[in-house]
Amino acid sequence: MNLFRSEEHIERWLGDRQPGATIPVTVLSELAHGWWSDRLPPEWQPHTRDQNQAVLDRLGLTAEFWRLP
Amino acid sequence: MDVRDLRLRELTYGLFIGLGRAPTADEVASAAASTRADVRCGWRRLHDAHALVLNAAATEIRMANPFSAVPTVYRVYAGERWWYANCAWDAFGVCAALHVDGRIETSCPDCGEPLAVDVCDQRPSDHSLLFHCLVPAAHWWDDIVFT
Repeated sequence: MNLFRSEEHIERWLGDRQPGATIPVTVLSELAHGWWSDRLPPEWQPHTRDQNQAVLDRLGLTAEFWRLP
Repeated sequence: MDVRDLRLRELTYGLFIGLGRAPTADEVASAAASTRADVRCGWRRLHDAHALVLNAAATEIRMANPFSAVPTVYRVYAGERWWYANCAWDAFGVCAALHVDGRIETSCPDCGEPLAVDVCDQRPSDHSLLFHCLVPAAHWWDDIVFT
């Protein structure tokens, strides 16, 4: 899970490997907020699979690649 | 996850934030008036529940996500302290978890050139960067360190 300068850099880094998924850093920042912002309060409870999937879905990350087990 | 494990997790995270690094099993045991063995047993249950990640020997913390217990290429300045994050996602997660603005410093995995992003009100200063996730979500926890 890395940051890159551009698509060209991603393609070169991947080489012969199968690509994963690429999203803009702006979406990543929103994703991180939705995923991690409740991590430290004492009342924290583990997210369910559906709660986590909803975080992804809200950002339009609905492709099969983003389906949690 | 029972109340005892939730409290152990809360204590572990609290010490991590306070110390600016991962607490050892001995430090957590001391704070909890417990034993190293009990802490490690609890950590193992939290590890199995994906609430934190232990090192290969299952003796100390490897990740208290989004924070990394070991140096990584993702350094984050947030809350007047430098942290290590496990990946790009977690780097933004450090700011999100602490509810503060911050600065992420890393390098492009392809060309090695430095990358620096300021995060202000959850927004990155450089919108041109891209995030690539190699492993599909269904397999993130197959090998979370690789992911």
